[in-house]
Amino acid sequence: MTDNIDKTDPSVRREIARRFTDAIPHNHAIGLTLVDAGPPVVRTRLAYREDFLGNVEAGLWHTAIATTAADSSCGLAVFLAVPSLEAVATLDLRMDYLRPAVAGRDLEVEANCHHVTRHMAFVTALLHQGDPDRPTARCTATFMRTGGALIP
Amino acid sequence: MKSACCGADRTLSDAAARRLHDARVGGDYEGLIAAIPFARFLGLRIVDAGPVRHYVMPYRDSHIGNAAKPALHGGTVAGVLELAMQLETLISQTQPRLPDPVDFTIDYWRSAGPADCFVEARVIRVGRAVAQVQAECWQDDRQRPVAFARCDFVMRAAEPVDEG
Repeated sequence: MTDNIDKTDPSVRREIARRFTDAIPHNHAIGLTLVDAGPPVVRTRLAYREDFLGNVEAGLWHTAIATTAADSSCGLAVFLAVPSLEAVATLDLRMDYLRPAVAGRDLEVEANCHHVTRHMAFVTALLHQGDPDRPTARCTATFMRTGGALIP
Repeated sequence: MKSACCGADRTLSDAAARRLHDARVGGDYEGLIAAIPFARFLGLRIVDAGPVRHYVMPYRDSHIGNAAKPALHGGTVAGVLELAMQLETLISQTQPRLPDPVDFTIDYWRSAGPADCFVEARVIRVGRAVAQVQAECWQDDRQRPVAFARCDFVMRAAEPVDEG
């Protein structure tokens, strides 16, 4: 792929997203999959696993695995929002844990990179289990455009 | 058998009470980690390092986020930081079970290489409702930390122990 790609074309975005996600071993390890590459909102899904529980008795996901899903999804949203195929890195990330995620149900992430400057990209994400009006968490993150060229 | 160690919550099972007692008094953290699937998933270990505890995430290939660099996935670093703050709050305070985080923030200071991660967590302030905690993660060089995180946890009021 060259830098003359059209990142507004949904099929191009899907292909970039697929390559981006495939290049991340930890995404495979947790089973994070792409649902919709936008534009603008990137949707991913993390299928439920017992490994992700924090409280077995109450049947609740651990909050930290939601952070991983959010970081990956925000990174993808940023990668699709910057003009070229360039490397990006999380500078900081905040999670607000609004309500617990319950066992047996998948976790969905909707990430939106809403602003890009020369060196930075700003992104928010909503995490839920099927009902976006009842989010389990909100994420706010800032990414650096580290400048390195990426060839997916 | 009545659990003498954890009168803070009489609903706590004997097994859970024993795990907490082993960790707090015996410095045996195996049972505590084994009871948290996500901590097992990350391979978390806790070691006593003088007056403090170090939370260790041993390197695994599956933790890589950027294969080209290579670098750990930021989510694994965030994970060990959050678990460290949560477990440190549980072990050092009179909490009957893992406290729930309200929010979590991480600053990535350096790229984390393909190596073990170490975390030390500090409980900064404990109020009736909330505990405020900070933690740092480093790899080969303690003086060159790779990430800093902070977290607020909901604290549960300790119920009076029924000695009868």
